[in-house]
Amino acid sequence: MFFHVSLDHEILLHPRYFGPQLIKTVRRMLFNEVEGKCIGRYGYVIAVTSIDNIGVGRIQPGRGYVIFPVKYHAIVFRPFKHEVVEAIITQVTRMGIFCKIGPLTCFISRHDLMIQPEDSIRVKIAGLQVDAKEFFAVGTLMDDYLVS
Amino acid sequence: MADDGDFDDGGGDMGMDDDIDDDEFNEDDQDPDGDQNTQTDKQQLQGDDRMEIFNEDDANAAQAALRTDPSKRTTTPYMTKYERARVLGTRALQIAMCAPLMVEPDGETDPLQIAMRELKEKKIPMIIRRYLPDGSYEDWSVDELILTD
Repeated sequence: MFFHVSLDHEILLHPRYFGPQLIKTVRRMLFNEVEGKCIGRYGYVIAVTSIDNIGVGRIQPGRGYVIFPVKYHAIVFRPFKHEVVEAIITQVTRMGIFCKIGPLTCFISRHDLMIQPEDSIRVKIAGLQVDAKEFFAVGTLMDDYLVS
Repeated sequence: MADDGDFDDGGGDMGMDDDIDDDEFNEDDQDPDGDQNTQTDKQQLQGDDRMEIFNEDDANAAQAALRTDPSKRTTTPYMTKYERARVLGTRALQIAMCAPLMVEPDGETDPLQIAMRELKEKKIPMIIRRYLPDGSYEDWSVDELILTD
């Protein structure tokens, strides 16, 4: 499922980026550091929609670096158990099928299907493993209207 | 980030009651400290019961209360020698790490000498945060503090 959430991030800025372009650099670094990454609590950050506030920078004692707290809104993709999603098959092995639901990898245990990589299927997420920086899903095809 | 832990104590390890804050040329937006976007995402993420919703309003309100209003500050308007040392040290380190200069170096190459010149011309873009024993603090920007020697 997709959500539009308000999130925080801290940008660690090297002194060489100080100067008139500073805010622009912070914004660019936010996009680079956040988009496409996975936050265990919220899911995969798909896109930053707006940067609400760039707070006061705080100097790191003894390091010269500055930390900027940034608040932003982003669209996140958070898979849930029992969710039905469209997936693209990446690999077919003897154990089963690996497929990608966007950035999320999903494994479906062995089935007798005429299927090949790049095919699109509809799966139901049977189990979800949540790590701090990654999700892994196990899917099933045993339900109505799944597979095709 | 790995260094969040030692950043949180805000320089208290140095035995000084100042913490240097750097607003880096965006002084106009330093003040609100994010008060205007405290409307958090309460409506989202109801589906997952493992996600608790953190109430930022309380945290921000508590933090803002600790800051002394600029008109009600009571500490000395002079820069102490400890603040001077820390400002110069921090700024010289930044200059050594290729930070853009705020003054014309005029052939000067030593980062500390350049930092001293910046301080003399009150061009150092930093704010000193003086913590008081009750946990509140006063923010003094370097350019409003009086330099002695």
